[in-house]
Amino acid sequence: MTDLHPICALGATQPQTRRFGPLTLAENSELALASVALRRDAASPDLPQPVPGEWQAAGDIAAFWTGPDQWMVEGPGLAATDFAAQIAARAPGCSVTEQTDGFVAFEITSTTGPGPIRALLEKLVNVDAHRFTAGHATRTGFHHMSVFVIRRADDRLALIGMRSAAGTIWHALTDAAEQLEVMA
Amino acid sequence: MTRLTGGLIDRSRSLNFTFDGKSYTGHAGDTLASALLANDVRLMGRSFKYHRPRGVVSSGSEEPNALVELRSGAWQEPNTRATVAELFDELEAKSQNKIGSLSFDFLAVNDLLSPFFAAGFYYKTFMWPRAFWEKLYEPAIRRAAGLGSLTHEADPDSYDAGFLHCDLLVIGGGAAGIAAALTAARSGARVILADEDFRLGGRLLAESNPLEQPATDWIAGVEAEFASLPNLRVMRRTTVWGAFDHGVFGAVERVSDHLPTPGKRVRQSLWRITAKRAVLAAGATERHIPFANNDRPGVMLAGAMRAYANRWAVSPANRVAIFTSNDEGHRTAVDLAAKGVEIIAVVDARTGAKSQGGYRTIAGGHVTDSKGRLGLTSVQVTANGQTEWLDCGALGVAGGWNPNLHLASHHRGRPQWDDAAQAFLAQDGAVPGLTIAGAAAGKGSTAQALASGAQAAQAALGDLGITATLPDLPRGEDAQMNQHALWHVPGKGRAWVDFQNDVTVKDVKLAHQENMVPVEHLKRWTTLGMATDQGKTSNVTALAVMAELTGKSINQTGTTIFRPPYTPVSMGVLGGGDTGVHFRPRRLTPTHEWAKSQGAVFVEVGQWMRAQWYPKPGETHWRQSVDREVLATRKGVGICDVTTLGKVDVQGADAGEFLNRVYANAMGSLKVGMVRYGLMLREDGFAWDDGTCARLSETQYVVTTTTANAGTIYRHMEFCRQCLWPELDVQLISTTDAWAQLSVAGPNARKLLERVVDGFDLSNEAFPFMACAALTICGGLRARIFRISFSGELAYEIAVPARYGNALMARLIEKGADLGATPYGTETLGVLRIEKGHAAGNELNGQTTAQMLGMGRMVSTKKDSIGAVLSRREGMVADRRVLVGLQPVDAADPVVAGSHLFTQGAEQNTATDQGWITSACFSPHIGSAIGLGYLENGAERMGEVITAANPLQGQSVAMRIVSAHFVDPEGGRLRD
Repeated sequence: MTDLHPICALGATQPQTRRFGPLTLAENSELALASVALRRDAASPDLPQPVPGEWQAAGDIAAFWTGPDQWMVEGPGLAATDFAAQIAARAPGCSVTEQTDGFVAFEITSTTGPGPIRALLEKLVNVDAHRFTAGHATRTGFHHMSVFVIRRADDRLALIGMRSAAGTIWHALTDAAEQLEVMA
Repeated sequence: MTRLTGGLIDRSRSLNFTFDGKSYTGHAGDTLASALLANDVRLMGRSFKYHRPRGVVSSGSEEPNALVELRSGAWQEPNTRATVAELFDELEAKSQNKIGSLSFDFLAVNDLLSPFFAAGFYYKTFMWPRAFWEKLYEPAIRRAAGLGSLTHEADPDSYDAGFLHCDLLVIGGGAAGIAAALTAARSGARVILADEDFRLGGRLLAESNPLEQPATDWIAGVEAEFASLPNLRVMRRTTVWGAFDHGVFGAVERVSDHLPTPGKRVRQSLWRITAKRAVLAAGATERHIPFANNDRPGVMLAGAMRAYANRWAVSPANRVAIFTSNDEGHRTAVDLAAKGVEIIAVVDARTGAKSQGGYRTIAGGHVTDSKGRLGLTSVQVTANGQTEWLDCGALGVAGGWNPNLHLASHHRGRPQWDDAAQAFLAQDGAVPGLTIAGAAAGKGSTAQALASGAQAAQAALGDLGITATLPDLPRGEDAQMNQHALWHVPGKGRAWVDFQNDVTVKDVKLAHQENMVPVEHLKRWTTLGMATDQGKTSNVTALAVMAELTGKSINQTGTTIFRPPYTPVSMGVLGGGDTGVHFRPRRLTPTHEWAKSQGAVFVEVGQWMRAQWYPKPGETHWRQSVDREVLATRKGVGICDVTTLGKVDVQGADAGEFLNRVYANAMGSLKVGMVRYGLMLREDGFAWDDGTCARLSETQYVVTTTTANAGTIYRHMEFCRQCLWPELDVQLISTTDAWAQLSVAGPNARKLLERVVDGFDLSNEAFPFMACAALTICGGLRARIFRISFSGELAYEIAVPARYGNALMARLIEKGADLGATPYGTETLGVLRIEKGHAAGNELNGQTTAQMLGMGRMVSTKKDSIGAVLSRREGMVADRRVLVGLQPVDAADPVVAGSHLFTQGAEQNTATDQGWITSACFSPHIGSAIGLGYLENGAERMGEVITAANPLQGQSVAMRIVSAHFVDPEGGRLRD
């Protein structure tokens, strides 16, 4: 166990959380990520392989589609581990790359169902909020950046973007959520 | 003038406001224009060029005259149309474009000089002397001829943006729009109804009895139903201002413009609406009829007069005359008379026109002149050869209606003249998926509008496979328009066509005389149809006048088309809130928090904020900090965050072959555990980017790029992988952000790193120059180490998961205290690499070749790679300029990057130019400024003294040509 102390993408030792009316926005510093790409003739890995535009949870991990024969695998709560090595073991012959700290993940939850999630989505990304139901994931533009958006459930949304831009993303997210609260 | 009876204002709520400092009272539901009229204020502005007194002409967004400045201080907004400014308590408005007071504007002298100010005046005058234009003529003209003024303060409001999707977008909330939205929403389709007004209804609110039942009752019922339909979104105060490709519409929602202060709300929201189908139900704009002096305050559109009377319970005067070419003028007369306004006469251009009420009708008559310095006092009427003056405070003019088809032009669709409708109509399919309904389609009666709106929605949804049933709609008034063309009243006086730009019938005639006949020329020559109203009340009239002059039909004359935006859009909202530090994404390095705690000075490098230098107490100039950092690194050990360099993970059986093709030099032959410097060429053979390739296994490399090109090179590699060589088994993914990478450089680098690695052998034998390895540090943290040097010193780059970067930086500084460990920033990074003669962005500027960099032999001839063939072009190979070092003969002399190099004593021109200085810095190692540059035959000219010319600053410095490697030219240090 290393004696170096990690910090969160937003720069503090503890992840940030803010609440706006029914919406809670939280930095998820414990989400491990690894990219998986099938090499030619590789055996199908022992991992969820959702189709384009989708996200799929399976046991302690989940995955979303990122390109032909490519997925990003999520390991909730596993950021402190060598997640890429664990995934590589389940995907022999595949190209696996550690991505945990390549990104910052923000989890957004609603206490009043899908309405606030949809309203927030409309302010965030050019995705049809009504059709982007639970189990959907996409890569899209967000304030001149590229992000992944995942609808984990009717009342839960995740937005994953460049770790280095965590502050910019957080500002944009909280601004949008605050505006919804003010206008409510 | 006191208020009329009725209306849709809330008399129980009084609102105080000021106009030019004077206090007035209006009511909730008023616009600034209606409230001013209710307070007997007809004079609201001065015209653009002649500074003629002007009053409100219309009651909507087409208003050309009543432009005001709203609010004060940083919130001041110029050019706001009083007709769409919703009244709020304590609203502060000022008139604009004047010197002195609104009633006594010194610039009104322009009106006396009007014979000189005809169309084309500016183009023909002020041509000489040329230098006077920018300094004297233009500022003077802009001061005199203008609109509102800017505060020059930053916009204090905030804005945001959003994205909506629907099956059907209905643009306009009048009779047609409401019917369309109702039809569509009841079918279950996802519908957005957007209306620019703050109250739904459009002309239903402006007419006295448009429906068999009170229109407001019907609208209230529909609104109640709308509120219950989750599939319908009604957006009031929302202007759809542009139709873009693929069913995308731009809309601005005015969130808090109607509030005294926005509080925490944004001022406006920019919406991008993606609609499968759209119905344009934007209504129509009434035409006026130019006659001599038709621009006095009090002369307005007859339909606007009705709107003020019926919706806002106000008339611009107690005595009103009407000038009409159709039945609309009579409608106004009837409505106003019913509210107790005295109708002096209805002057109907049609011979045989009959009165439709108890007022005098002058059939076959024209209004031929008017009087009243600051507001209308009388009009001259000529009929049957007789002329008389009628005293009146206002004149309503009804010249027919122009459909609001602007959005249908946004894909360059050109409207066609329709003789039956006597109007331009949009062509079907002008914007794919957009159908036009109601008055915007020339179907102007209420009954027609309701029916066509519902039918348009039904048809649009039918395209999508959604069945919609036509709703039961109330019976609407169905008066036929019978438009009768009367484009202007001939006469000697100036008759205004375009109020906003002061364009008269004479100007159109002059344009004709000067052969500015095509409509596009007419527009630009006269400035017709420009500025905030974009000719909504003038374009068609002007080209009809031109048609008359040329003897062509209106159809042959043609029309200009409209571009977005439909009405003015603030720059702030177009930015969607991305202003100030949020103008673009800001990327922070993993050690940012630590650097901040050390008082680092940061610099923007693309989107990144990087530590530029780390000042220490007592250092008063950046050079002191940088010199110290440089010397400390060369003497002990320096540490710099180099995370921003692009990192790409390249995997697959063909990873080596792939890199062979994208890099000029061979990468496939690189041994596992080793790093190689790589040079990438563009397709045209010029040098593009440099970096390193580290081979972590037979099938995995980590490639680094320059910071500037990180995104571009990754995209290029993906293009190569996906499009050029899909047959290769290779996978790419960026890992730039994933790993915090620190450069540890200096003679003590190894000693320092030995204190953090977990038993890893860093000896020269076990881990030589250009080696790389995965290892653990600080008690088990996975890390990567690369023995590469950008400074010429013994150096390593060590990478850890980004979240540990901050702690690692602190740890290295702490553990290296006795070794002289010093953090350094980008400025020192630059000095170190210039001293070592390493190329960077300044050298790789797109104009340089591998040969110029002294790397010609790196372009392998044993394999093909992108750019290799073209790099051997004759012209490229013949370039004799190579990278050299430059040192001033007098150590006190400066070295300025960008200076050009000449043989001493030679004439200095492009023919004798021998190269240029690419990079320069002060080298504490050398003790003077030094530079790198490209110089013709540089390699053979070591020791020669040449001239570096910087004519911009009058500098000419004698420079000695030296090796580009000012430090350790043999490269012993980095291999120790």
